[in-house]
Amino acid sequence: MNLKALSRWTEKELKYLLLVPTILLLLILTVYPLIFAIIASLHTINIRTGERSFVGLKNFIQIMSDNLFWNALKNTAIYSGVGVTIEFTFGLGLALLLNTRLAGRNVFRALLLTPMMLPPIVVAVIFKIMYIPDFGVLNYLLGLIGIKGMIWEASVKTALFSLIILDIWEWTPFMFLILLAGLQAIPTDPYEAAIVDGANKFQIFKFITWPLLIPAVLIALLLRLMDTLRIFDQVFIMTGGGPANATETISLYIYRHAFRFSNIGYATAMSFIMLIITVIISNVFINRLKAEEVFTL
Amino acid sequence: MKSILKLVFVIFITIIVIFPVIWIISTSIKNPIDIFTIPPELVPPNMTFDHYSILFNELGFLEYIRNSIIVTVSTVIVSLSIGMLAAYSLARFKLPHNLNYQISFWVLSTRMFPPIVTIIPLFSMLRLFHLINSRTGLIIAYTAFNLPFAVWMMRGFFAEIPKELEDAAMVDGYSRMGAFWNIIIPIARPGIIATAIFILIMSWNEFLFALILAQTKVSATLPIGVASNVTQYQILWGRLSASGVIAMAPVLIFAFLVQKHLVRGMSMGAIKG
Repeated sequence: MNLKALSRWTEKELKYLLLVPTILLLLILTVYPLIFAIIASLHTINIRTGERSFVGLKNFIQIMSDNLFWNALKNTAIYSGVGVTIEFTFGLGLALLLNTRLAGRNVFRALLLTPMMLPPIVVAVIFKIMYIPDFGVLNYLLGLIGIKGMIWEASVKTALFSLIILDIWEWTPFMFLILLAGLQAIPTDPYEAAIVDGANKFQIFKFITWPLLIPAVLIALLLRLMDTLRIFDQVFIMTGGGPANATETISLYIYRHAFRFSNIGYATAMSFIMLIITVIISNVFINRLKAEEVFTL
Repeated sequence: MKSILKLVFVIFITIIVIFPVIWIISTSIKNPIDIFTIPPELVPPNMTFDHYSILFNELGFLEYIRNSIIVTVSTVIVSLSIGMLAAYSLARFKLPHNLNYQISFWVLSTRMFPPIVTIIPLFSMLRLFHLINSRTGLIIAYTAFNLPFAVWMMRGFFAEIPKELEDAAMVDGYSRMGAFWNIIIPIARPGIIATAIFILIMSWNEFLFALILAQTKVSATLPIGVASNVTQYQILWGRLSASGVIAMAPVLIFAFLVQKHLVRGMSMGAIKG
C-alpha cells in the first residue's frame, strides 16, 4: 500500500482509529478484570505460592455465611447512606441560600473548594489529629460549649460515626457546588411567571426549582454514592477497619483478603459481588439521566 | 439585616471548612511538647521546622515528591493525548448503530468501577510484565482509571464547538487532523485545561493503587510517604502532620491558582455532559 492510499484510508476510518487507544485501555480496565474475576472467583488461589485449584461456587457459598463480609457490607451501607444524605441536605440548603448576590462570593467559593482538593489520606490525618482524645482540639472545643469529649474513632460505638463526619466535611462542598451550578443554569422566566400567578416559596421550589434541578441532583448523588461505596483511604488511615471491625468496609475487607492473606479467589468473589451492587445502583441513576435527556449526543 | 445574617452564616461555614486545614499546618510547626497543651494553641509558641527537616533528610520525602511529580505529570499527558482523540471522535462523527451514544455511556459506566475490583486483575497483569513497584506501572493504572472521565469531559467541550469551523479549515486545505490540531484544540483549551487539572489532582491524591503497586523508593508516591508515618504503636504527631502538609500544599496552591478553570470544569463537565 502506498503512502497516498494509506493516508486516504486513515482519513476514511479516522472516526474508528481515534477510538482505538481508549477502547483498548478501557477493555483492559473493565472487560479483562471481569473475566479474570469470574474465573478467579471459582478457584482458590494463593498469590505468593501460585497454587490454584478449582473449587466451583465454594467461595460464594462461604461468603454467604461470612459474618465479617456482611458486617463490612452493613458498615459501607451505613457510611454511604447516612453520609450522602447529610451531605446532600446540607449542600442543597447552602446552594439555595447562596444562589443570590453575596459580597465576596468568589472568595467563599474558592475556600469551599479546599477540602475536596486535599488527598483523602491527608484529610484522615487531619481528623486523626483533631480527634486525639485527651489533648485534641475537637474535644476541647466541645468542652467549651459543654459537650463531654469522646474517644471518637477509638471506640466501637463512635468509630463509624467519626468517619462519616470526616466524609461530610470533605464532600458537602462538592454537593453544594454541583447543586449551585444546577440552580444557576435554571432560566428566570418560569420564576417570574410563577410570582405573577401568586405562587408561594414552597410551591415555587416544588414545581419549578426541583424539577429543573433533577439532572444536577442525579449527577451529584450518583458520583457521591459511587465514591462512598468504594471508601478505602480514609478508613485505612483512621482506623484500619477497627476497633473490632466496627469500621470495616467492603473495599478494606477485600484488600485484606487479597493482599494480606493472599486469598485471591475469595477476594475476587467478593469484589464480583461488590461490582454487581455498584452496577445495579449506578444503572438506576444513569437510566434516569438518560430519560432526563440532559446529554445531547 | 437579612443579608448581614447571611454573611455571618457564610463566614461561620467558611471557618468550619478552613479550620482543620489551619490546624494541621499549626501542628506541623509545633514542638512535640506544645502539641499536647490545654488549651490547645492555634499559633505555636515556639515555631520549629524540625519535623520537616527529618522528613526530607532522613525519611526520603524528596524521593516521594519526585515520584509523585513524575507519575502525575505523565498520567496527565498520556490520558489527555489518548482521551482527546476519542473525545473528538465521539463528539464529531456519526458512528453506525448509534455507537456514539453507546460508547459514551459505556465510557461513563467504567468510571463507576470500584478500584478494588480492578486492582487484583491489574496487579496480576502488571506483575506479568514486571511493572510492579515501578512508576510506569502506576502511570498505566492511573491512565486507565482517569481516561473515562477525561473522555467524557472533553467530549462535552468539543461538542460545543460549531462544526463549520473545521469545515472551513478543511476547505482551506487542512486535513481533518490538521484542523483538529490547529483550530479545535486552541478553541477547546479552557476545557482541556480543566480536564487536565482534574486528572492532576486525582493522580496526586491517589492512594489505593499506589499502596498495592508501588512500595519501593523508586516508585512510592507522597500518599504512601504520609501513610508510612501512621504506625500502630506510636504516632509522632508533628512528623505526621508535616508529611500531610507536604502532600497537600502543592495541590492546594495549584487549586487556588487555577480556581476559575476548576469551577467551570466542574459545572460544565459534570452537568452539561
